[in-house]
Amino acid sequence: MSDWSSYELQDFIPFTADVYFRLLDRTNETFWPLHLLTLAMGCTALLCALSGRARIALLLIAPLWVFVGVAYFLQRYAELNWAGHYAGWAFIVQAGALVLIALTRYGIERPPRLLNIPSLAGTLIAALGLFGYPWIAPLSGYSPYQAETFGINPAPTAITTFGLILIVLRGTAMWLAAIVPFLWLILAGLTLTALGAPWANALLVTLVATLLAMARKNALEPEAHDKRRPGDDGDHPHP
Amino acid sequence: MPSNLTRRQSLKLISAGLTAALLPAGLLWAQSSERLSKPIPSTGKTLPVIGLGTWRTFNVGSDPQLLKARTEVVEAFFADGGGLIDSSPMYGSAPDVIGYALKRLGIPASLFSAEKVWSPAGGSVREQVARLAERWGVQHFDLMQVHNLTDWREYLPALREMKAAGTIDYVGVTTSHGRRHAELEKIMASEDIDFAQMTYNISHRDVEKRLLPLARERGIAVIANRPYDGGSLIKGLKRREQVPEWATQEFDCRTWADFLLKFIVSHPAVNCAIPATTRVDHLNENMRAGRAPLPSADTRQRMIKYIESL
Repeated sequence: MSDWSSYELQDFIPFTADVYFRLLDRTNETFWPLHLLTLAMGCTALLCALSGRARIALLLIAPLWVFVGVAYFLQRYAELNWAGHYAGWAFIVQAGALVLIALTRYGIERPPRLLNIPSLAGTLIAALGLFGYPWIAPLSGYSPYQAETFGINPAPTAITTFGLILIVLRGTAMWLAAIVPFLWLILAGLTLTALGAPWANALLVTLVATLLAMARKNALEPEAHDKRRPGDDGDHPHP
Repeated sequence: MPSNLTRRQSLKLISAGLTAALLPAGLLWAQSSERLSKPIPSTGKTLPVIGLGTWRTFNVGSDPQLLKARTEVVEAFFADGGGLIDSSPMYGSAPDVIGYALKRLGIPASLFSAEKVWSPAGGSVREQVARLAERWGVQHFDLMQVHNLTDWREYLPALREMKAAGTIDYVGVTTSHGRRHAELEKIMASEDIDFAQMTYNISHRDVEKRLLPLARERGIAVIANRPYDGGSLIKGLKRREQVPEWATQEFDCRTWADFLLKFIVSHPAVNCAIPATTRVDHLNENMRAGRAPLPSADTRQRMIKYIESL
């Protein structure tokens, strides 16, 4: 028997399902009603992205990546899984990358094109992360206290960010900003699969849909460049 | 004295002698349904045949509700005469959770503390053992094992020094999932160790060919991990099947825990199985499997055929 073929997915998850869902319980108990603020920040970021204020959108969500990195991963998840330290620091690095992109305007879509497929997909994905994801656990028979919220828990934060970067970024910046959300959603999807959470596949489907939309946006890039007006930037509302 | 024995007493003695002769080597029990123990070959000290594993189940962090729940599992384990608790620095907060439970329950005389040294935990062997003792809240460990054979050439001599100094009582090595058996065999054949931990259950019996006979030959105690194959084995059986009637008749098997655990601990080379659980009712089922009677050699073959037929 080869070493790796003898492993099962659950052998890589060092805790049981009840421990994971209690972690969500405790996180929500500790931070409520901060959820309302993080959701408001996410909604504002989406509106900013759709109205051409890309830099503000990125600067609004960056601190939430730091918060999730510290409060969720470093202070809580890392107690259960040594990989939590790495995930925590990866979330903080992601926040730095978002701030850097906002400050340098590198790869910011100018102006955003709202009616193409990637932007529509981005809007839907961001809306899913903000408004749909918190309902998944309760609708799957879990406690409302186990609902996951943008800015508090990593998965909806990553999904919403995926949507936003699809709207406001292009080219290399878009792909770079997607690395950490991509990696986390893979790990989260596999973790939920191992723990038997019924929405694990939905997470992985969202991930694939996002990557397809990003690939589509990449394919549209030459056409977009041709149509871009000189002097356009991402700081002004879309006319 | 023999001259004072009644005929009934004499018959009882003969019967007991015959029964003992037919039992797996080293198995001790006083009468039917009493708790079973087996001697550790290197010292003769006995160890209850059902222990407590902690992989995944005891990694609950600082959650007060789950800490209380796991303390109840440990309490039930010792209330039923449990002995060996096995953990590892790889199991996240599990050593701290055991320490939490022991602090609240007190350290029972029956505790047989089994831990592991593991390269990624960092530090020398002595530093790792000291950190683990602090996490458990114990003065010393009964058994210290090299986790998954990592750096065993460096770790085993250091552990033997600690054993000689009385810091630990026994030295062992571990594998799981059927991995690295060739290397484990080499260590068991050539190194001075007291314990070897390996995966053994009714659906994973590779170790019966070489490792278990070698353990008997070399006087090495065996701890069987993954007795339920990570939980999938017993969950699948509970979903689909009732315990067969012949098993109930032959060795008082009432649950699948009885069936699976008694199969393991009835192997003459196996000292202890270490099922892990988060629930007191499951713990009680597991502990019941540590009571007489055990299946005979013929019944064990029937059990294998039955599981293979499913």
